[in-house]
Parts: sequence; structure tokens; C-alpha cells
Amino acid sequence: MKLMRNSMKVAKWEFKRNIRNKSFIISLFLTPVLFILFSTAPTLLSNLSEDEEAGTTVYLNDQLGVYEAIEPMIENEDFVDWNVVETSDQPKAMQSQLKEQEDAAYVLINEESLKSGLVTFMIGDDLDKGFENELQVFQQPLKQMQLQQAGLSQDQMQLVNTPIQYELAEVETAAGDKSTEEAMGGFPYESAIPGIFAGLVLFSIVISGMMIFQSASQEKKDKVAEIILSSVTAGELMQGKILGYFTLGILQVGVWITLALPIALWKLEDVPVLEYLFVPETALLTFIAVLGYLLFASLFVGLGATVEDYTTSGNFQGMVMMLPFLPFVLIAPIFSNPSGIVAQVASFVPFTAPGVLIMRLSVLDEWPWVEILIAIVVLLASIWIFMKLAGKIFQIGILIYGKNATPQEIWKWLKA
Amino acid sequence: MKKVLSVENLQKSFKNTKVLKNISFDVHQGEIMAILGPNGAGKSTTIRNIMGIMYPDEGSVTFHNHEGKEIPRHKIGYLPEERGLYKNVKVMDVLLYFASLKEYPKEKAKQRALVFLEKLGLKGKEYASVEELSKGMGQKVQFIGSIIHEPELLILDEPFSGLDPVSQEIFRDEIKELAKNGTAILLSSHQMNLVESMCDRLFMINRGEKVIYGSMDDVKTEYANFKCTIRGKNETAALERIPEVTRVDQSDDISILYLTQDVEVTSWLKQLPNDIDVQELSVDRVSLHEIFVDIATDRNLAEEVGEAHA
Repeated sequence: MKLMRNSMKVAKWEFKRNIRNKSFIISLFLTPVLFILFSTAPTLLSNLSEDEEAGTTVYLNDQLGVYEAIEPMIENEDFVDWNVVETSDQPKAMQSQLKEQEDAAYVLINEESLKSGLVTFMIGDDLDKGFENELQVFQQPLKQMQLQQAGLSQDQMQLVNTPIQYELAEVETAAGDKSTEEAMGGFPYESAIPGIFAGLVLFSIVISGMMIFQSASQEKKDKVAEIILSSVTAGELMQGKILGYFTLGILQVGVWITLALPIALWKLEDVPVLEYLFVPETALLTFIAVLGYLLFASLFVGLGATVEDYTTSGNFQGMVMMLPFLPFVLIAPIFSNPSGIVAQVASFVPFTAPGVLIMRLSVLDEWPWVEILIAIVVLLASIWIFMKLAGKIFQIGILIYGKNATPQEIWKWLKA
Repeated sequence: MKKVLSVENLQKSFKNTKVLKNISFDVHQGEIMAILGPNGAGKSTTIRNIMGIMYPDEGSVTFHNHEGKEIPRHKIGYLPEERGLYKNVKVMDVLLYFASLKEYPKEKAKQRALVFLEKLGLKGKEYASVEELSKGMGQKVQFIGSIIHEPELLILDEPFSGLDPVSQEIFRDEIKELAKNGTAILLSSHQMNLVESMCDRLFMINRGEKVIYGSMDDVKTEYANFKCTIRGKNETAALERIPEVTRVDQSDDISILYLTQDVEVTSWLKQLPNDIDVQELSVDRVSLHEIFVDIATDRNLAEEVGEAHA
């Protein structure tokens, strides 16, 4: 009871101290703003540049009246961005025009086009052969005219024009399951939203967990550790730090979600985001994220006590700090085969388990409960072991002044 | 006086080196007890064992009737040798945090903080950031942090180091005041003049072992022989021939004659030879500083010689 009380005091202090810290406040609000900026900037920029471009000027000599059929499509810029200028000039006469206007094209559609199926076109120097693909907009009206001339009825023409479609039959899938997913363009929002949420929680609390490393080493550098340790035990100090930074991480997630949720609801207006979010799966995934935090936090707090100054931490410490990012290396094999051997093995490795489990469970329709259970047991056991080891390192390391500990020294402390 | 702290047969080893060898002493209510010793003698290790920052291999630490891990550490104040403050916080916040760790009520802590800040010349600095404080100011805040919760036992490891003489005097007066009000104080310092002027008893440690333990008067009687300082132009050899003189230190025309332990000062003065040049003469007991230097160097030298022979 007293142990928890002291840990809570330390946690409260760490929370209060950081919440007033300018750099934390800036990163708290700046991170989502930057995230939104980076995710929307490319689209905004491309829209801007599209606005600036006037589109391709197409001089169209349409002797058959085909343009009438495709005019709405061109005006809506659904497929092509053309400024159509109707003309009666022949190719020869247009040549000089295209020499002067290099981003323009000329298209001739006449009786010959209908008979031979050949459309003559010319392009200025600024346009490439990709323009030929854009000319596919004439395909359907011209084909329709050809069939009309051949004397086909309306029904026959429609049948000929209907392309052959292929349908994938689902195996053992409950009816209606895919309807929303299909409606949303194939993205599995229902399973992904709890995963995205848990991933965000894991990312945020691990990032704030990294601040524990800085906090422990700063406490050493500022020589406050011994004063604190005269009132609380090393274990209480360590637990307090882990708890304090966990709360900071959760606050961070809270702020990020508060900022991001309205945007997500607006962007994904057809997706019931909140309905997908408040499901039991979210609770389990968040629990896995919290386990991940506890594992890395214990590692970082122990490591922080081995460093005199975090700005001069050695390669060993730097390598350990990279461990939470290990699952990123496995993104491709996990998403391509979430039940594959890489995904399965990585689920049982403590450092990759939290991230990999969240990724896998976000895309799997059927959850492998036995694997999940084993992975959670492995994680819990690892947390217990790492907390014990970190406690040993922290207790000795925090009182050693003047140098960064080497891996050999840390090993000796662990054996002591 | 009531015994507040009792250290018995404390032993501690790091790797294969014994750093504390059967250390035993007591600290009583209202007394200032000095723990002295050269660098690396084992002072800070003894203190850390008392504070429960580390635990002894053998022996015990008892605070009132509580032993080892059962000691209520919130009743003890501690100013470690390696000390500092959080940088990016306000003075009052850090003091209230230290008080809360000692389970001391917030409002009382706030009042005491204001009182001590004023006493130590830091009035108006309560909401200043620690970063804005000078080193001396920072040390004063650390000192306040160690006494804010009205500790029954106050342990101060090198409280005067890095302080200017004026601040040293302020600290000394404050420590004496606390002792007067009943706080038991265990103090480690290299400032022998301050120790001599304020401590009731002392425990001297060297290479992890007890060297001297007792009241300041006892120590002086036992170890502080008389010394006679003469200003005049004299040959060292002539001074060394004077009876009861064990050693002569000479610098320019100042000669210090160290006398044997059981010398009768008045008789000794009467039998001084007529041919020595005396412009000024004084007889004093040797200072604690000289005892400290003598004991530390003698012991170290003896051990070095012993080690060389072995």
C-alpha cells in the first residue's frame, strides 16, 4: 500500500513536471498537426497544381457529332482534362498551329474513322504518347455508331457493348459481411479501426516511454536521484516513473484522437467509425499495447540509469532504443501473410509481439486465440523478468556518477 | 540524551574490497555528531547504509526502535554529497515535492518553505525557476529540502562544500539552531574549523575503520597535544634539543614545536633555554584539522609500509 502511495507521488510529479514542460506541450499539439499536414499536403499541392494547369487544348474536327455523347464526361473532368475547341480545319492546316501551341492536340473524326476504325490525331511537342490513352473516350460512341450502321437492334448493341465481368465467390462467409467493405472500396475498416487505435496507443505510450530514459539519465545528471532515494525505494521510483509517463502517453493519445476523430469522421462519412471503435476487440488490442509499453518502459528506465548524459549515450543504449521499431521491418511480410511463419514467430518474440499482434489482428478475419494467449503469456513473463532486471540495473546505475556504463558493467550488476 | 540512531558493527564490501569494517556509533537527540575521514574513507557509504539507499552485508542500523527496512525514512532528512535539483521547475514546487515524499502536509510545508527561504536570503525566489538560481542559492534550496519536514534525524553529507564563507556561517547557525530544537544531526565535512566550532561529538573513519570516536573534549584531551609557536630567528636543531619537543615545523622565522602528550605546560615554559630568540610566543592545543591530517597520513603511511613489507 505504502509502495503504491510513494509510486503514485513520483508518478504525479513526473506528470506535473512534464505537462508544464514547453517542449512536451509543443510536441503534444504539433505532432497531430504535422501528421495531418503531411497526410493532406500532397493532395492539396496536387490540387493546387491542377488548378494552375489549364488542361490540354484539343482541336476537334468532329464530322460525325460524336462529341455530343462525351461532352458531359469531358466537362466533369472525369477521365481527361481537355479544353475542346471545335474546328473544321484539316490536318495540314493545323500543323503550324501545333508548332506554336506545343501543349495542344488535334483530333479528326470523319466517315473514314467509322469505316476503317482509325482516328487521326496530332500532338504538340509538350504532350507525350500518353495522350493516345486519353483518346479512349471516343471508343464507346464510335463503336456504337459502327454497330448502328451494321443494323443491330438496341438490345443487341447493349449486349455487345457490355463487357464480360468476373465474380469472386466467397468461401464460408456469412452473407452481408463483405457488403460494407466492398462499399468502402475494399478497405477492412471494421477490423482495422480497433487496430489503428491500439497502434496509436502503442506508438504514443512507447514514445512517451522513451522519455523515461531521458528522465532517469537527467535525474542522474542533475544529481537528484539520491535525494529522492532517501525517501522512496529504487523500485518505487522506477514504478512511479513508468506510471507517470504512461499517463502522459495516454493524455497524448487523448489529445491526438480528439484532434483526429472529427477529421476521420468527416473524411470517412460512410464508415461508422465510432461503432467500429467501441468493440471488445479494441479492449484486447489496447491491453496488448499497454503490455508493450510496460515491457519497453522497464527497459528504458533501467537503461536510463546506466547513462550519465543521454546526449552521449553509447551504441549499446542506442540499439536498445531502436527495439520498439523492430515490427516496422516486418510490416510487408505480416500484411502479405498475417498467418505466415514470420508473423507467427514474431508474435512470440517479446520485443516484436505487441506491434506484430496488433498488425496481424487488424487484418485477420478469424483471430488465432491460442497464439494470442501464448503471446500474452510470453509478454507478461517478459515484463516480470525485465522489471526485475531493470530494478537491479536502476538501483545500482542511478547512484553511479561521472560515466556511462558499459554492457560489461551492466552484466556485472545483473549478476550481483 | 535519548538515542535516536544506533549503528552497530556495520560491514559492507564492494566486489572483494571491504569498504566498511565494524563501524559502530550512536547519535543522540539534540546533538551534532561529525563523521570525518579522508576521501574514500567510507563516510558516504556509511551514510547511504543508514539512509537505506544500500543495505549492509552485516551489522545493523536502528532508528529509535526500528531496524533496517522498517526505519520510517520520512522522519529523516538527508542532504547527500552528490546533490542537485530538477532544472525546469519552480523552487516552491520542488520543495513541496520533497515534503510530499516525506509525507509532510502541503500547507505546513509551504509555510516552512517560505520561512526558511526568507531566513536563507531567498525571499521572493519561491516561484523562480531553479535554472535561474546561482549555485549557492541552489544549495540553500537543497538544504531547505532536507529539513522542510521537521526531521528527527538530519544527515548532512558535506553541507558546506562549494559555499562561500558567509553562506557557511549561515548554514552553521541554522544547523546549530536545529540541534538546539532537538534534531539529532549527523554531519560529514572536510571543513574542520566548522566541525570544531559546532559539533558535540565526532567519529573519524579511515579506510573503512573507526579511528577516533568520542566527544570533542575527549578527542582533544586524548589526541590534541600542546604546540608552541615561536616567532624568532632560531636553528631547527637547537629547538629540537629542547626537552618534550617531538617535532619542529619551521617556515621563515616561525617555528612550531609539537610537545609530548603528558607535558606540564607552565613547567616546560620555565625551562626554555635563554639563548633562543623569542619575538612572540603562544601555546595552543593542536587543531582538529591537524589531528585529522596526522591520523589520516600516519595510518595511510603505516598501511602502505605494511603492504610494501607484505
